[in-house]
Amino acid sequence: MNDMQWAPIGSEPLPPPLPPTRVDFTGNRSEFRKMVTKGAMLELVTFGFYRFWLVTDIRRHLWTHTAVDDDAAEYTGRAKELLIGFLIALAILVPIYLAYFLVGIEFERWQAFASVPLFVAFYAFGQFAIFRARRYRLTRTVWRGVRFWMDGSGWAYSFRAMAWGLLVFLTLGLALPWREAALERYKMQHTHYGDLTGDFEGDGWTFFKRGWWLWLLSPVALVIFPLAPFFYAEFRAREWRWWLDGIRIGGVSLSSELPHNAFYGLYWKVIGWWTLLSMIFGAYIGGATMLVVQLSGLPAEQVFGPENGAKSIPMLVAMVIGYFALALALNIVMRVYLQRDLWAKVLETVEVHNIAAAADVRGSGELASALGEGFADGLDVAGF
Amino acid sequence: MSDVSIEAPAQSKKPTIFFDGVSSRKRQVTLTLGDALEIVEEGAEPVRWAYADIRRADSPAGVLRLASTSAPPLARLEIRDAALAADVTARCMRLDEHQTSRRGIAKIVGWSVAAAVSIVCVVLFGVPLAADRLAPLVPKPVERRIGDAAEVQMKTIFGRSVCEDPAGKAAFTKLVNRLRDAAGLDDTMTAGVLPTSVPNAFALPGGKVFVLKGLLDKAQSPDELAGILAHELGHLKHYDNMRGLIYNGGTSFLIGLLFGDVTGSSAVIFASRSLVEASYSREAETAADTFAIDIMHALGRSPKPAAELMFRITGKEGGSGLTNILASHPLTEDRLARMTKEDRPVSGPPLLTDKEWQALKGICGSGKI
Repeated sequence: MNDMQWAPIGSEPLPPPLPPTRVDFTGNRSEFRKMVTKGAMLELVTFGFYRFWLVTDIRRHLWTHTAVDDDAAEYTGRAKELLIGFLIALAILVPIYLAYFLVGIEFERWQAFASVPLFVAFYAFGQFAIFRARRYRLTRTVWRGVRFWMDGSGWAYSFRAMAWGLLVFLTLGLALPWREAALERYKMQHTHYGDLTGDFEGDGWTFFKRGWWLWLLSPVALVIFPLAPFFYAEFRAREWRWWLDGIRIGGVSLSSELPHNAFYGLYWKVIGWWTLLSMIFGAYIGGATMLVVQLSGLPAEQVFGPENGAKSIPMLVAMVIGYFALALALNIVMRVYLQRDLWAKVLETVEVHNIAAAADVRGSGELASALGEGFADGLDVAGF
Repeated sequence: MSDVSIEAPAQSKKPTIFFDGVSSRKRQVTLTLGDALEIVEEGAEPVRWAYADIRRADSPAGVLRLASTSAPPLARLEIRDAALAADVTARCMRLDEHQTSRRGIAKIVGWSVAAAVSIVCVVLFGVPLAADRLAPLVPKPVERRIGDAAEVQMKTIFGRSVCEDPAGKAAFTKLVNRLRDAAGLDDTMTAGVLPTSVPNAFALPGGKVFVLKGLLDKAQSPDELAGILAHELGHLKHYDNMRGLIYNGGTSFLIGLLFGDVTGSSAVIFASRSLVEASYSREAETAADTFAIDIMHALGRSPKPAAELMFRITGKEGGSGLTNILASHPLTEDRLARMTKEDRPVSGPPLLTDKEWQALKGICGSGKI
C-alpha cells in the first residue's frame, strides 16, 4: 500500500518500514490436554457425537490464544452448526450413495470392476468439501471485530484439484508443488478479511527447489523405514514455511523462519507414544487371551477358531474395550502433538509485515453454512 | 452502592479497547457503569450496552472480552484491568447464559446414548425384520440385474467361462433339475461350473448357482455335491442374497451414522459390521443347511455326505483361506454332527448313474486348470 501514495516520489522521505509484528500463542498446554482428554472420553460415551463439540472447543482454544499484534483472534463457530451441517450433508449424501450403488451395478454388468473409477467422483466431492469446510472455518474467524470470509466456487476448486491431481499422478508426484501453488492461489485469492483481499505469492518452483531431493529419496524411506518420519517431517516443515511465506492479505504479508527440522521431535514423540500404547495394547490382549483360555479350559485354536463366535464373546468384549482405550489414547496424543504443539511451533516462527494495513478495515462478508464441514465429516476428508 | 449512582470512571492504566463490529479500528475507550454500560470514545457518540444483553466472548487469559446481543454481532469490548472487569462482571447477570454448561453436556451425552441405543436396537431387530420382509418383494428384474453384475465379477475372478462339456453338462443339468423340483424353485434359475481350483460354491441374486471345479474335484459321490447344491438352493429359496444386501447395506449405513462416517471406512465400523453381519450370515447358513437336509430327505438321500465333503475341504485347508462357503458359516464339525444326526438309510434312487457322475467330473475337460 505504501507505494500507492499520492505524494510524488522524492518530495517526502518515506518513513522507515515498521518492524514486523510477531504472532503470540499463549495457550496453556495442560489446559489443552485436559480439554482433549475430557473430550475424548465424552466422544466415547456419546459414540462419537461429541466430536462436534470437541472440535469446536479445540478451535476456540487455539484461536483465542493466538494473538496478532497483541489482539487475540476469536472463533465464533458453534457445535450445533456442525451437527446441523452434518445432518444436511447426510441427507444429500445418502441418495448419492444409493445412486452410486445403482450406477455401479450397471457398470459391473457391462464390465467387471468398471465401477471402480466411479470412486473418482467421490474424490471430487471430497475436494469440494475441503473448500467449503475452509470457507466455514474462515467465516467463523474474527480478529478485531471483523471476520474473514471467502467467495469462489467449491466446484471450480474441485475441478482444479482434480485436473492438477491427474497431472501429479502422471508425473509421479513431481507436479505436486505446482498443484499446491495453484490450489492455494485459488483459495487465497478468494479469501478476504473485511474489505481486504488475500493472495498467494508462493510459486511451485520455489517449493520444488526446497523439496525435490525428498521426492528423489522417498524410495529409500520405503526400504529404511525409520527414515520415513524424518522425511515426512522435513517435507511438512518445508511446505509450511513455503505456504506461510506466500500468504498476503491486502498489504499485510507473512513470513516464517520455520527451521527444516522443526517437526522431527513432534513426529518422533507421536511414534514413541504410538509404539508404547501398541505395546500396552498387545500385552493387554495377550493377558486377556491367556485368561480366557485358562477359564474356558479349551485349547487355544478351538477358542479362536474362525467361526467360533459365541464362545469367544468375553474375548471380544475385552478386545473392544482395549481397542477403544487405545483409540482414545492415540486421539489425545495426536491432538496434543499434531494439533496444539504443531500450531504453537509454527506460530512462534511467523512474522507479520505491515500490519498497519489492517488497522481500519471495514467488515463485510456473509457467514457460510457448515454444510462443507458436514460433507468433509461424512466423506472422511480433511484439509485446510 | 445503588444501581443508579454513576460511579467515577474506575479506569486504570491498562487500556480498554472497543471494536465496533463495523471496522477493525482499535478504539481506546473509557467505561461508565450507569444503568447501562456506556462505552465512551473521545470525540464520538457513546455506545450503550444494556447489562442484560452482555455476553462473554472467548478471550485469552487476562482479558475480559464482551459482546452484546443488541449490538452488531462482532462488536467486542476488551477489558484488561482486573478490577474493572470484576466490576462489569458483577453487573451482567446473563454473562454466561449462552455457554455450554454441565447440564448442556449431560444433555448431549443423554441424547447421544438414546440415539445409539435406538440405532443398536434397529440394527439388531429392525433391519433383520425389514430385510426378511423386503427381500421377497424386490422385483425379479432388479434382482437379476444385480446378479448379472455379480456374475461378471465372479467370472473375472474365477476364470473365463462356464464349463461346457456336453455329457458333463447334461449330467449337471439333470442333478440340478432334480434338486430344483424338490426345492420348489421355478425354472428361471441357472447353474454352472466355473473352471477354477478353489473348492467352493455360491449362489448369486437372480437365481444363479455356481459350483467351482475345485469342489467337484474333491467330491467323491453325487450325494456329496447334491447336498452342497441343495444348500445353495436354500439360499435362493430364502432370498438370502437380497436379504444380505438389504441387511448389510442397512447395518453399515446405521453403524456408519452412529460413528459419523457414512463411507464406513474406519476400523470401529469395520469391526462392528463384521461382528453383526457374521452372526446374521451364520443364521442364514444354518437355515440353508436345514433346507438342504429337507431336500435330501425328500429325495430319499442322506445329507451326511455333503457335510463330509465340507469337512474334507476344511480339514485339508486348515479352516482358513476359503471364502464363500466356509467363512462366516457355522463350524464345519457342528454341521457334520448335525447332518450325521439327520443321516437316514437311502430310500430313493441314486441321483446320477456312475457314468453320469464320471461325465460330470470331467465337465471342464481334463487337466486344463
